[in-house]
Amino acid sequence: MNALLPSLETIASLVKIGLLVGGLMTAAAYLVLLERWIAAWVQDRRGPNRVGIPLTKIRLFGLGQPLADGLKIILKEDFTPKHVDKVLYNAAPLLILAASLAIFAAIPFGSVLPPLNIPGLPDPVPFLVAPGLDVGVLWVFALSSIAVYGVLLGGWASNNKYGFLGGLRSSAQLLAYEIPLGLGLLGVVLAAGSLKLDVIMNAQAQSGIWYAFSQPLGFVVFMVASFAEAARLPFDLPEAEQELVGGYHTEYSGIRLLLFLVSEFLHMITASFLIVIMFLGGWHLWGLTGSGQEVSWVGAFIRCGVLSGKVLGVIVFFMLVRWSWPRFRFDQLMSLAWKVMLPLGIANLVVVATVEEFRPQLVEAIGHTGATWTAITGPWGLYFVGWITAGILTPSGTDNRPIRTTRPLDGSCDLPSQSLASHELAGTR
Amino acid sequence: MNPLSFFSGADPLSDVGPLSAPGLLLAAAVTAGAASLWLLLPRGRENRITGWLGLALGGLSLAGFVATGRRLGGIGEEAVFLTVSLVAVISAAATILTRSPVYCAIWFALSLAGVAGVLLVLGAQFLGVATIVVYAGAILVMFLFVLMLAQPTGMASYDRVSSEPLLSAVAGAVLLGLLTLAIGRLSAGPESAPTTDAPTDGALASDSLAADQVARLGAELFGRHLVAVEAVGTLLLISLIGAIAVVSRGEAAAADEDRARQRRALP
Repeated sequence: MNALLPSLETIASLVKIGLLVGGLMTAAAYLVLLERWIAAWVQDRRGPNRVGIPLTKIRLFGLGQPLADGLKIILKEDFTPKHVDKVLYNAAPLLILAASLAIFAAIPFGSVLPPLNIPGLPDPVPFLVAPGLDVGVLWVFALSSIAVYGVLLGGWASNNKYGFLGGLRSSAQLLAYEIPLGLGLLGVVLAAGSLKLDVIMNAQAQSGIWYAFSQPLGFVVFMVASFAEAARLPFDLPEAEQELVGGYHTEYSGIRLLLFLVSEFLHMITASFLIVIMFLGGWHLWGLTGSGQEVSWVGAFIRCGVLSGKVLGVIVFFMLVRWSWPRFRFDQLMSLAWKVMLPLGIANLVVVATVEEFRPQLVEAIGHTGATWTAITGPWGLYFVGWITAGILTPSGTDNRPIRTTRPLDGSCDLPSQSLASHELAGTR
Repeated sequence: MNPLSFFSGADPLSDVGPLSAPGLLLAAAVTAGAASLWLLLPRGRENRITGWLGLALGGLSLAGFVATGRRLGGIGEEAVFLTVSLVAVISAAATILTRSPVYCAIWFALSLAGVAGVLLVLGAQFLGVATIVVYAGAILVMFLFVLMLAQPTGMASYDRVSSEPLLSAVAGAVLLGLLTLAIGRLSAGPESAPTTDAPTDGALASDSLAADQVARLGAELFGRHLVAVEAVGTLLLISLIGAIAVVSRGEAAAADEDRARQRRALP
């Protein structure tokens, strides 16, 4: 075994890594532009539309803006405050960016290439950096939990109260929402029978039924949890500008701030990829892409295009939500995670497990089509029942008046809502 | 923990007895490691000479362990394995040597990452990733959370001075040496096949990279070890309910107290 010469497989992996990292970094830069455009559209402004090709008058709808933004933030003074913990202060942005990039080792960005017939290279070549990783979903989970360290350490090392509060909020939020995220994901893993993301996509392509249709509740739970994991707006408490200046990156500037911002966008891209791959069929689209493993060159690129288009669609949805929803309060955030999302996720898991367990008997009893329809209508019934129950059980309005637990005369004065008051006490304490 | 796993993927150690050459090397490495830990453990005041001496002894000890262990195979694999296991050992040592609790937690996280890397190199993908998810991702973040809340500034005396440095270093060293010897013996003995259908080492290596590794692990867990899995699940459920009970009782008491205080405050 010639260990020092890179094998063809290694070279193929390096090419894929290069494609991914380059593509992701560019995508992150242009997503900033897209986000600013969407913000401008939502707020009825024009948005960035001036920067085009440098030194000319050509504007190109502002497509040169990311370059200008990048240059500006890189050339800015990289100031290190005196009171910070130097080692961790420098390590935090590197850690968070490395973790958010390494996630993509397990995320497929297409289907497979047609057979190349190069000796030494396994055929067909998958669009995936680490095809041998049998624990793809867990890998994504592990690295996104490593990314918490970046936020937490950045906040702590800054030695700043705003940064510290942002880091603490963030770690509590990410820990809480990892549970509904995992529950939503477990349903898909159960149905597909594998932890590999490409196998999950193939399973949806083969049946033609995306998991968003057969597990609607799991889809919503997963989506809400991934919004929270990406710390996008209804859940952006870690860096709430109006309360915490910038949250955990208050003390950062220049290129290190850039690393934090890029990794935030990478988190959003990861979340979109996961939503598309696990619930929206991945590269599959009825009538356009086939469903098997044999593809032509055109087919392979159509599949890549379909996957990227879906991911872009989910990202645009993320951005629209950001500019149209207000932020949750912290106790609302926590009660949403523990009192709504967790029970709904467990209910979804139970129903999916039951359906998958009895599917062979169902097929035997009422035929293949009947079994499929049962497997779809059952979870939809649960979906409506679940939301109606959640809507009835959770208070629709919150009482924000100051708490008055005193009884002025004899202690018989009733509060507007006893349970709400004690709940708020718990939140403020 | 890591020098032990150094042996697990290797050829059987043939002659690790207390008096053979590898045995002596191992004993020297263990002794040096113990001395280095004893010198380096925090004692309240800095001493540069003992610090450097401890570092040098620690390096010697690590070199001894590396020399005693068996090779894995290709140079690439060997290099990756040595790197991750050295990261695991050194950061494990740093976990108990550093004074700041937050840094201790960070070093511990790095050590876990090293252990996960060792498991990945040895082909145990699920264990490796699960180590990161469970320990580094959940438990340690909780630790950090509490540490940062409890001690934003300054350090307590129990962080600056380690209690019983000599005893703990010696006990750790003895345990390490005995375990290494025992595992070396075990893998050398004829009854080195613990499971019924244990394949040879080469088959094991290719087996662990098989496509349906997780499925097999699941079948094993929910087949042979079903009772244990169910028992653990029940235990976790009970502890969850217990935690909720404790918290809700505390909440009610706090609410009462708050009410009483407000009543007292008002005229």
